[in-house]
Amino acid sequence: MKQITNNQLSKRVERCIVSLLLPLVLLTFSPMSAAEDVVAVVRKGTPVATPISRIALSSIFSMRLTTWPDGSAIRVFVLPDDNQLHSIFSKQILRLFPHQLRIAWDRLVYSGTGQAPVVLNSIDEMATRIANTPGAIGYLPKDTKDDNLAVLNVE
Amino acid sequence: MTMLLFSLWNSPTVTLRRNHPSNCEQWNCPPARKVHVCNFISQVLASKIVLIFCISLSTPINCKAIELFDSVQIHGFASQAMFLSSGNGMFTDNKSNPNFEFTELGINGSWYATPNLRLSMQVLSRRAGRWDNGSPVIDFGLMDYSFNLDSTYRVGIRAGRVRQPYGLYNDTRDVAFTRPSILLPQSIYLEGARDLTISGDGLILYGESTKPWGNLTLELFGGYPRTESINNQFQAVFGYSGVLESNPSFVGRFNYETYNGRLRFALTGAYTTATASKSVPSPNGLVTFAPMIFSAQYTTEKWTLTSEYDFDFFKGENLGLPGFPINPDFNYFGQKYYFQAAYRFNPQWELMARYDAMYPNSHDQSGYQASIKSKGVSPDYSHYAKTMTVGLRWDITSTMMIRAEYNYINGTAWLPVQGVPTGVFGISDNNQTSKYWDLFGLQVSIRF
Repeated sequence: MKQITNNQLSKRVERCIVSLLLPLVLLTFSPMSAAEDVVAVVRKGTPVATPISRIALSSIFSMRLTTWPDGSAIRVFVLPDDNQLHSIFSKQILRLFPHQLRIAWDRLVYSGTGQAPVVLNSIDEMATRIANTPGAIGYLPKDTKDDNLAVLNVE
Repeated sequence: MTMLLFSLWNSPTVTLRRNHPSNCEQWNCPPARKVHVCNFISQVLASKIVLIFCISLSTPINCKAIELFDSVQIHGFASQAMFLSSGNGMFTDNKSNPNFEFTELGINGSWYATPNLRLSMQVLSRRAGRWDNGSPVIDFGLMDYSFNLDSTYRVGIRAGRVRQPYGLYNDTRDVAFTRPSILLPQSIYLEGARDLTISGDGLILYGESTKPWGNLTLELFGGYPRTESINNQFQAVFGYSGVLESNPSFVGRFNYETYNGRLRFALTGAYTTATASKSVPSPNGLVTFAPMIFSAQYTTEKWTLTSEYDFDFFKGENLGLPGFPINPDFNYFGQKYYFQAAYRFNPQWELMARYDAMYPNSHDQSGYQASIKSKGVSPDYSHYAKTMTVGLRWDITSTMMIRAEYNYINGTAWLPVQGVPTGVFGISDNNQTSKYWDLFGLQVSIRF
């Protein structure tokens, strides 16, 4: 019978731990690269300081925070629930699942306690509507270039 | 006011005369064909309206509202259900299988007059057997003034006809998309008492705080709950003619959810009273209902686990008439709860399972004493209900959904009065109901 030294044992345990943890670490970090590809965007000149707190941002997209610091109305634009960019933005930036946002919006709309965001069909439409709507906020791929838009970093 | 009608259903009540086929054979009364034809026509008509509505609205693939101006939104919903029952009819006493007696249609508009002032109104047409006949009613119509003190605090006031803050599902209980099943867990959201819990004329004061440790919301309602559907059927419920009027009532809900919304707790307390004025000289009846509801929900990407527990005080005084053979007054401490698990194995598909228990009088869970007191008019099983439900939901698009569910039920405590057959002299006869019954439901729903 083969003798296992303490050293060998600890190496085996180490290998086991690495092989178990590596996929976990990869799982945790790989979507983060996707998160870097989507950014919150406002119309240029919107009275909000960047970076914005994550709480304030998720309150805006949950439609609980409805006015900018100067008292003007916030206009929220989103893509459809099953859109990939919407899913990444919800999960990675807001830390909410798309179905949680949908439930929150439905509760507001059908109980008379608020409004839902405006759902747009495409990234192009999103860029155009934000650029042309006072007080607008939405999200876009990071590489979008538009002089009428300003990126809102999250702290 | 979950339980107002429960014990009243089980008291010797007089029901508007319906010509149940088996009653007709038994009591040799002439079948009222006209009634049946009318019912059939209205049923077909309502189903058609829903169908047309569905087709016209199912074209947009995304869940989009109608945007008139930047500050105005119009939303709507429609659903039609079908029930098959092995025992007691849902929303109908004639056990017709299948029955299509459950239709919901609603449209609402919301307008931000200023960034802080919003006006909102919803019109609802609901058909649920003879209880709700589908005539449109103002479900809510309100002015909401809210103010963000900074990005973490918000206070506001809603005035007009407002939704009562009650448990997890009451806020949107007529919108099939927001429910976990065709029928809400009846222990907490009793069909027969929806009128009194759904919306009321009064005020809501609310405050909200969002911090890194979570969101806290407090809502306080004071006003008059609605009684119109009950008054349409006053005679059927109370056994004599009269009017039920709600007195100033109060509901409060305290809600906490973690920052990411995964965990949610709510505590609801209510104190509601209503006065029954009788058309014959006799002291007014008074019904008092004070529930306390604990709600909890845990959500992950695929799972939603929900439970609500209700402990309530429910009392009815002077509800009988002089010379009534049975005194219908009661004084109960009720206990109701459910456990529910929903599993989204795919973004468009959801499986649901639930166990729901309802004991209107927790000191008499078997219903034995109540049955003795009623002199056999209400059997013991009409004083409790234990329901097991499994359901499957398919969101075909974000605006169209179809679902099926199966309920196995022991007891009839939540069976709506529409489902209780009428016996001799048109009196609701709880002895004609089945103790064990299966209820299968299918529902199509759309929204925008």
